[in-house]
Amino acid sequence: MDTQQGIRVENLMKHFGEEETRVDVIDGASFTVNKGELVALVAPSGAGKTTLLMMIGCVTEPNGGKIWLGDEKVYDDGWLIKDTRSIRRKKIGFIFQAPYLIPFLNVIENITLLPQANGVPEKEANAKAMELLTYLDIADKAKMSGSQLSGGQNQRVAIARALANNPQIILADEPTAALDAERSVSVVQMLKKIAQEQGVAVIMVTHDETVLPYCDKIMEIVNKKVVMKDSLEDVKII
Amino acid sequence: MINLAAKDIKHSLSKFIITAAGVGMLLGIVLIMLGVYRGMISDGTSLINDIGADIWVVQEDTLGPFAESSRLHEDFKNTLRSLDGIDLSSAMTFQNLQLPHANGKMTRVFAVGYDPFGKMIPLNPKRIVEGRGLKHDHYEIVVSKKTGFALGERIPLGRDMYTVVGITEKTVSSGGDLLVYLSLKDAQKLQFLYSNARIRNDRARGIKGMDSHMINAVVATVRDGHTPDEVAAQIRRWKHKGVFTNEAQKEILTGNLIKMASKQIGMFTVILLIVSIVIIAMIIYNMTIEKIKEIAVMKLIGIPNKFIIKMIVQETLLLGVLAFVAGVGFAHLIYTKFPKNVVLLSEDAMRLFVVILVASLLASLFGAKKAIDADPTSAIGG
Repeated sequence: MDTQQGIRVENLMKHFGEEETRVDVIDGASFTVNKGELVALVAPSGAGKTTLLMMIGCVTEPNGGKIWLGDEKVYDDGWLIKDTRSIRRKKIGFIFQAPYLIPFLNVIENITLLPQANGVPEKEANAKAMELLTYLDIADKAKMSGSQLSGGQNQRVAIARALANNPQIILADEPTAALDAERSVSVVQMLKKIAQEQGVAVIMVTHDETVLPYCDKIMEIVNKKVVMKDSLEDVKII
Repeated sequence: MINLAAKDIKHSLSKFIITAAGVGMLLGIVLIMLGVYRGMISDGTSLINDIGADIWVVQEDTLGPFAESSRLHEDFKNTLRSLDGIDLSSAMTFQNLQLPHANGKMTRVFAVGYDPFGKMIPLNPKRIVEGRGLKHDHYEIVVSKKTGFALGERIPLGRDMYTVVGITEKTVSSGGDLLVYLSLKDAQKLQFLYSNARIRNDRARGIKGMDSHMINAVVATVRDGHTPDEVAAQIRRWKHKGVFTNEAQKEILTGNLIKMASKQIGMFTVILLIVSIVIIAMIIYNMTIEKIKEIAVMKLIGIPNKFIIKMIVQETLLLGVLAFVAGVGFAHLIYTKFPKNVVLLSEDAMRLFVVILVASLLASLFGAKKAIDADPTSAIGG
C-alpha cells in the first residue's frame, strides 16, 4: 500500500435514473491524489464535479467502483462502512462555495462543533480551534458571529471548521466562487499551505482559472471520466 | 458538548418567547375552560353545602327545586320533625327573580327563602362581607356583591320594598345566577301570592285563592344512629314525597343539570387542546424547516443525528414548558374578569402540564423526522 496515498478512486461510476431516463454522470473515473497535494477539479457546469466530490466525500453512493480514503478502502461496489457519516466526521473536511456557518453559533463554536461531536473535550477543542484561527489570522474574531465577518473571513472560518477534526482529506466545492480575485488567491494559497504542512489531500472544484497556477495538479472531467492535465494550457473551463 | 438548542433559542430569543406566549395564551384558555367547569361544580354544590342538610324532601315524582318545579305544604316540615330519625327540619323556597336597579337595569338572581329564626340557615356567615344576615321576617334582603346593590339600598319587589341588610361573596346558584336571601314569608309572597287583580279574576271564575303557604323543599338533618338512606326510604314509603339524600341532590346537580354544560365545556377544552398541540407541532416543524440548510450542513460535515434530534426535542420541550408557564400566568391574570365563577385548580394545571409535555415530545417527532430526512447534499450547490 502506498503510504503517500490520500485519495484513490478506481473505475467509479454514477448514473441517475433508469432505462430511458438514465443519465450517466461519471463513467469509470480513476485517479489518485497524494497526501500534501492540492488538486483542482475542473469541468463545465453539469459535468459532474460536485457529484464526484460527494461520492468521494461518502455523501452520495456511487453505482460501482472503488474508493480509498488514505489507506482505508471505504467503497467497493458498496459501502464497506455502514455509517458513512462517521467516515466524514473522522476523515474528511468540507469547504463549500459559501461558508454555510451555523448562524446561531459563533466562530469558535462553529469550529469546535465537529470535534466535540467526535468526543473531543470542549477545552481541547477550543484550544485547537484557537490554534487554527491564529494560523488563519482571524484569532480576534473567535467570539463573533458569522454575520459580523466579511466574506473572506467567513471562508477562513469555514476552512478552520474543515480542519478542526484533523482530516486526512479536504473536499472543497468552489471555495472561491463568492470571493474577489485577491481573496480567492489568498484562500487557495492557504489551502496549499495546509495541504503541504499538514499532509492533507485536497481536491478543490473550481471554475476560477486564476487560482489554477497555485494547484499541484489539475484534473478535468472529460467524457464522464477524470483526466489528469499536464499543463495549464490544456485546461478549458467553460 | 455545545447545547445547540440553547444557542439556537438565544439566537432568536424574542421570536421564541413571543411564540411561547402565543401558545401559552391558548393553554391559558384551556385552563380557563377547565376552571369554568370547576366553577360550575363549585357553584352547583356551594348552596347545598351551605344548607348542610342530610335529606331533601320534595314534591313526589320530581327531582327537586334545582331541576324542576316542586311544591309542598309548609307544614310538612312539622310532620317531618315527628318522624323517627329526623333531628332538624326547615322549609325553603328557591326561585329566580329579576332585581330592578335604580337606573332601570335588571339583574337576574336566584332567591333562597328561609326562616331567619329557624335552626337550618342556608346563608353561610363566612360569606357575608358587609352587613349581616336576615334578622326580621319581612322586607330584608341579603344580596351577592356582584349584583351591584349597596348596603341599605332599597329594592322594589312584588308589592313591597326590601332593604339590603347584608352583602355576600362567592354565592352563586347551580345555574350561575347570583344568590339573594329572603325570609321564607317574603319569598312565599313573591312566589305564590298573586296580584289583587288576578285574585279577583280567579274568584270570578270560581277558583279558590292560591295558598301562599307553599314551599319548594323541606330540608332536614338526621339524628345520630340513623342513616339518611334509611330515613329517606321511610319518608318515601309513608309520606308520598320525593326524597333525596344530600349526595343524591348533589348528583342531580352535577350529574344531570351540569352534565350537558360540562360535556360542552369538555368538548371545547379537548378541541382547544388539540389545536394547541397541532400549533406546537406546526411551530416545531416550521422551526426545523427554517434550519434545514444548517441541519443539512451539519449532516454533511458528519454531525450525528442524535445531536440534531436532541436540539429539536429540547427546543420543543422548552417551548411546551414556557407556553405552559405563560398559560398559567395568563389564566391567573384574567380568570377574575369572567362573569361566572372560574375555579383554577393546581391538579388541573398539573394534568395539563403532563399533556403538554407528552404532546411536545410527540410534536418534536415531526421536526425530528424532517431533520432525519434532510438530504445532506442540499447543503451545497452544483
